[in-house]
Amino acid sequence: MTKRIDRRVMLRALIVLVIAVAAFIALGASGSPAIASTTDTVVAHSAALSNEAPSALTQDTTTVHATADTESSGVGDNRYVQQFINGIVFGLLLALASVGLSLIYGTTGLSNFAHGEQVSLGALLTFFFASKQEVSLPFLPVEFSIGWPLLPSALAAIAISAGTGWLQDRYLWSPLRRRRVSIVQQMIVSIGLSLAMLNFIQWWFGAERKRLTTSIDTRLDLGLFSIGQTTIWSVLIALVCLGGVGYFLLKTRTGRATRAVSDNPALASASGIRVEKVVRLVWIMATGLAAVGGILLALYDNAAAFDVGARLLLLMFAAVTLGGLGQAFGALVGSLVIGVAVEMSTLWIGTDLKYAVALAILILVLLVRPQGILGRAERVG
Amino acid sequence: MTDAPVIVDADDLYAGYLPGIDILNGCSMRVQEGELIGIIGPNGAGKSTFLKALFGLVPIRSGSVTLGDEDITNMRADELVKRGIGFVPQTNNVFPSLTVLENLEMGTYQRPKAFKAQWERIGELFPKLVDRRDQRAGSLSGGERQMVAMARALMMDPKVLLLDEPSAGLSPDRQDETFVRTREINRTGVTVIMVEQNARRCLQICDRGYVLDQGTTAYTASGQELLKDPKVIELYLGTLGA
Repeated sequence: MTKRIDRRVMLRALIVLVIAVAAFIALGASGSPAIASTTDTVVAHSAALSNEAPSALTQDTTTVHATADTESSGVGDNRYVQQFINGIVFGLLLALASVGLSLIYGTTGLSNFAHGEQVSLGALLTFFFASKQEVSLPFLPVEFSIGWPLLPSALAAIAISAGTGWLQDRYLWSPLRRRRVSIVQQMIVSIGLSLAMLNFIQWWFGAERKRLTTSIDTRLDLGLFSIGQTTIWSVLIALVCLGGVGYFLLKTRTGRATRAVSDNPALASASGIRVEKVVRLVWIMATGLAAVGGILLALYDNAAAFDVGARLLLLMFAAVTLGGLGQAFGALVGSLVIGVAVEMSTLWIGTDLKYAVALAILILVLLVRPQGILGRAERVG
Repeated sequence: MTDAPVIVDADDLYAGYLPGIDILNGCSMRVQEGELIGIIGPNGAGKSTFLKALFGLVPIRSGSVTLGDEDITNMRADELVKRGIGFVPQTNNVFPSLTVLENLEMGTYQRPKAFKAQWERIGELFPKLVDRRDQRAGSLSGGERQMVAMARALMMDPKVLLLDEPSAGLSPDRQDETFVRTREINRTGVTVIMVEQNARRCLQICDRGYVLDQGTTAYTASGQELLKDPKVIELYLGTLGA
């Protein structure tokens, strides 16, 4: 029965997706001169994100001097399809961060405002390990160059980021929970932590945008749209990670225990589940996933700044709320909707307003379906 | 009281949810192996708090709880499950997003290898659950959820089962079914400590009853004796059908 219910929901989402794709293709086929004047929308996301790039430019090859440009050469034949694909890509990468945020909310009830900084940390730690220019550690006067290849750099960044999740839960969140500090107070602590981390990251890495790789991405023209090879790899990695999370939650005993803790921590404890252990694992997973998201977004976006996560935080919250609070799969669906809405909106309105569109959609969906897209209304009595 | 060994001994408990505010004020209880104990009392007497304190969900500020010879005062709930205590809360007693089967699997979380055998055993006790194994627990009726909750607690083969108002919110038919099941479970050798609002029905099936008032044990006697006690009748049972 449950499987049937789940399938029904998934089928509904699939139908909406198929109709949307068909509509976009049909619209595209009929042509739309109205959008001809639109500036390079393929890199709209990149451009918007890089608007805040500081003017202090350096000669460093891994520091971005201007708007991302490597993707601008490849625009597909159909802008609707192109933007839709861009939206799916952005949504998938956003989902990596949102799923972790949702898992933390589900298991602890905490809306973690410092999650955005975990995204930035993942990207910038990768820069730290991969950069051939001189870098330094906080509080140490010594400068050195590491220059590892991208993959080991990313893996090291993910491991360290996951470690920060362990540290945070071990020395901050777990003691606060033990002392029965209210969830609102914990949320305020997370806002403080977010600001502290944001300033720390800026102080450590500087304000300019950093490129994780200097290689130029080659684009594949697939007819209706084009896509960069790095982006394809990013999407594949995101799919593997999200698939892994799904498998963990549905098919493993610890994953089911995580869902149980998410449903009812007191009952989970009464069932013999070590709730604190599960929550610690969730923190490690969430911060690790945020790092993966940060790295892939930085590759997609050509660079990352210290505040990339902070600027995405509201979208992550929107995705989590839209999908259904505390529902990991909801966060994925919510992210995809947000990603597509953000990218598609740039076809009709200015890029400055695209995040507002995402939040407008959030409000509309919640008015119609208060529990979110995949949230379930529980039977009473 | 028989000469069976004491399995749970709660001695002079003071406990409460908020610092400085005690709900239990010197509550004591001795439970022998294999007994079915009913706890009744007015609203706010501390019945559910007592059960939660036994199960480590409410901090005990003074007094002690022993399980057999072991001091289990303020022990973590998952440790208590390991030692053979099961707990069925009054509300929110299932994992709504998990299927019935997954709910029961959580009952054997500490002994996953025992799941298959336990599932077969529980299936005989609650055949309806076998039919609904793949249904999401959040979509079940109140009675069915209660069944899942009891079954989940029994999956670990507990020595002691704590039931917090198992008949609350159920139709009269379902209430009867729940009491019959509780007695059946007790007959398999499980010691049951049950808090109930339906005092008459509870006392009818239990071996001994405790009457709690203002966080302390007011009376204790066999269920049948309490059913005939004029003061208990006046305060908790009413006069009809006494």
